Amino acid sequence: MNFKPLFEIAKKTGFEAVQVKYSDSKSIDLEVFKGELDKHEISDSQSLTIEGIYEGKMGKMSTENIDESQFEKWVEKLKESAQAVESKDPVVIYEGDSSYKEIDGVYSEALETLSVEAKKKIVFELEERVRNADERIDISEAFYSESSKHVRLENSKGLTLEKRVNHAVLGAHVVAKSEDDSRSAFDYIQSNQPQDFDTEQLIEKVVKRGTSMLGAAPVESGKYDVIIENRTSASLLGAFLSMFKAENVQKGLSKLKGKLDEPIAETTLSLVEDPFMEKSPKSTGFDGEGVATYKKSIIDKGILKTYMHNLKTAKKEGVQSTGNGFGGGISPTNLFIEPGNKNLEEMLEDMGNGLFITSLQGLHSGTSAISGDFSLQASGYTVENGKLQKPVSLITLSSNYLELLKSIDTIGSDLKFTFSYLGSPSLRINKMSVSGK
Amino acid sequence: MLEKRILERIINEALESTADFAEVFAESTMQNTLSMQDSALQNAKTNELKGVGIRIAKGHKSVYGHTNKTDEASLISLTNDLKTAFPGDRVRETVTLGELRHGKNHSVKIYPDTVDVSKKVSLLKRSDKSARLYSKDIKQVNVSYMDTVQHVTIASSEDIYVKDTRVRTRLGINSVASNDKDMQHGFNGPGGSYGFEFYDKIDVEEEAREASRIAVTMLYADECPSKTMPVVIDNGFGGVIFHEACGHSLEATSVAKNASVFSGKKGEKIGSDLVTAIDDGTIPNAWGSANYDDEGLSQKRRVLIDKGILNSYMVDQLNGKRMGEVSTHSSRRQSYRFAPTSRMSNTYIDNGESTFDEIIENTEYGLYARKMGGGSVNPSTGDFNFSVMEGYMIRNGKIAEPVKGATLVGTGKDALKKIDMVGNNLLRAQGMCGSVSGSIAADVGQPTIRIASITVGGRKEDAS
Repeated sequence: MNFKPLFEIAKKTGFEAVQVKYSDSKSIDLEVFKGELDKHEISDSQSLTIEGIYEGKMGKMSTENIDESQFEKWVEKLKESAQAVESKDPVVIYEGDSSYKEIDGVYSEALETLSVEAKKKIVFELEERVRNADERIDISEAFYSESSKHVRLENSKGLTLEKRVNHAVLGAHVVAKSEDDSRSAFDYIQSNQPQDFDTEQLIEKVVKRGTSMLGAAPVESGKYDVIIENRTSASLLGAFLSMFKAENVQKGLSKLKGKLDEPIAETTLSLVEDPFMEKSPKSTGFDGEGVATYKKSIIDKGILKTYMHNLKTAKKEGVQSTGNGFGGGISPTNLFIEPGNKNLEEMLEDMGNGLFITSLQGLHSGTSAISGDFSLQASGYTVENGKLQKPVSLITLSSNYLELLKSIDTIGSDLKFTFSYLGSPSLRINKMSVSGK
Repeated sequence: MLEKRILERIINEALESTADFAEVFAESTMQNTLSMQDSALQNAKTNELKGVGIRIAKGHKSVYGHTNKTDEASLISLTNDLKTAFPGDRVRETVTLGELRHGKNHSVKIYPDTVDVSKKVSLLKRSDKSARLYSKDIKQVNVSYMDTVQHVTIASSEDIYVKDTRVRTRLGINSVASNDKDMQHGFNGPGGSYGFEFYDKIDVEEEAREASRIAVTMLYADECPSKTMPVVIDNGFGGVIFHEACGHSLEATSVAKNASVFSGKKGEKIGSDLVTAIDDGTIPNAWGSANYDDEGLSQKRRVLIDKGILNSYMVDQLNGKRMGEVSTHSSRRQSYRFAPTSRMSNTYIDNGESTFDEIIENTEYGLYARKMGGGSVNPSTGDFNFSVMEGYMIRNGKIAEPVKGATLVGTGKDALKKIDMVGNNLLRAQGMCGSVSGSIAADVGQPTIRIASITVGGRKEDAS
């Protein structure tokens, strides 16, 4: 669609600048349950978000009813939206940076050309092998979820940027059953290269995750040395992401306010944002506001180096945007705790006795991103003499995320990313408060 | 909206295969959201959704596709793509749609899209002012407002051809209280299937003060001890415990696959005699109500548990085929972007006979969870966890000091059996429920109840 006429109408109406973001997405979702294709969904959708500055205020709208005949109506709505705004926060529509990094490996032709039949075959095979891997597997499900997206950002200041990404997740979910217990588990691989979907390890891991939890019970309440598994630690990081967003800092909703260049974590800990990672759909050369992205440490060896900024928060504070303006707010691209040297086995051995936490439940409710407090239902295993012993469930792990960052004993080497591309290696924390029996 | 001829054409084109079911869900939705922070309006956004979801099935096997290219040719092309899943000769006769039926309940007086944005802004201002005036400890207030008008047309091979308009609005107040030691927040979010007249029905100022009251109370609260103890959960949003711990496990989504702890338990005793639980999508203008479910069947009242006995699951048409049961008209979805499945509507534990005072007086020691936060559950194991937004210790049958940071952990199966007192003060509250078919409006509810013993997680070493 040609948006120039829209920009013209907006200009005549009195808009200072207008920006559109058009995205065109396609997706395939497949799910096999006990040998049957249980879900087969396809989608083809377009959406448009429009922002415009009118009398110093930002108007916003989005629509799926995308048609040139709507241009006049959109401008009216945009004006109404801008006029309602009272906030004196700065508003910016960006003219662009001098150069943007071209990123390789975020769009794969191979994924796109692989037939739906071939994709189905992968999922059917995965499910069948998981189901037959252990007789205690009562329910098995395998899924494949693929999306591709083409995004175009264009504004009345002459900026036009485009990107295309695709990505897929292949995973399995099991319920293992014994006479008096049932436990669920899942594991996944994500990539945009079909050859990465090597199911051998995936099967072994997911089956073990399920069956080894059978008979899990709470441990006695007390203080325990704890290793939080990589992907679980990554999810926990996700619950406290807002602490690092300048918007929350400026509004007094983050305890990291005033902590720039101060130690906020163990000196071995670095929190890195890398927008250029291969095979990640989050990788991008520009953010949602057209700002060029770059690799940076949010925490460098324990020291808080920067908050994540968009154009608005950066202008407010008189700094440069960090290229984290996405979806009208602030988000990281690929954000992870930098891995250390020890693998999980070595970490377990070093710890000797304690708990290995493989799952935390209730991350959206049992955490306060404002105070950093969390109290979460956890499950995992007891560790005795460096080996996983008994499965543990229905315990609660409580602490404060900022205290946790300061009391990390060891950072593992086993970096793993969540679906939203937050990553962490396994982390050991000593003397955590656990409530159980 | 799609005309009847096109709907019939899509359905019949889809049935040009071995499929025995075809459905079209066409949607056009307008949403408005406003947000206020620092006592100034930050954003006033409109969002327009428009698209079509097509579902084709054979038995309980289905394929689903959605698009916002809603011209006839694109829809027929999507249909043809989908039906390749069921190749072969036609098994159903030509479908002709009957008379269009219109949903008539849950009528709305003032459609929110006709209300001037300045009136909405002044509603947020009133909330903000009232929340701030509550206490000097209130340092920040975030107010959000939403309204949505969803027009749907649903047509299927099962003699379904209906039109429904779902209007909803909700106000959310999040108050932050802080001093040099701590920062705590409190939330209150009243809503309903109403138009703008909703704000004449509620006391906006009082709703805002409630959010601040929770935040300030928690600012001066002690850490909650970790211990297994009796817990009294108050009415209203306390019903989230039933929603999460039992409701999800009674949805055909998990029951049909034998993935629920309650699979195959119909007619059996799964809870204490005191527990009767209802899911009712017909309550006039309630947050989770509608005229039709998202497969076009009239909404109903379902008795899920009758005096402890499992009476009914929540079933949609396709899972019904898998289970050998008929639909309980429980199919719901966030939008055309989601294939529908069995979901809750307005779900609550029904009134018992105890008074609130009796329940507290009969509790020697325990936790009084006055306001619950959110929670989640694993439907295959029934393991659940909830955060307590506002809690107090109960000592010697009296409500004592406030405590923060409490989490309730357990399994739905156990908790239902351990309910040993049920109050007579049923109240519903609003929530958003996220599951496979997206995020939908759902009421939770209950009278004040007591669970005889449950694991409470907190940060304080037990001292009793």
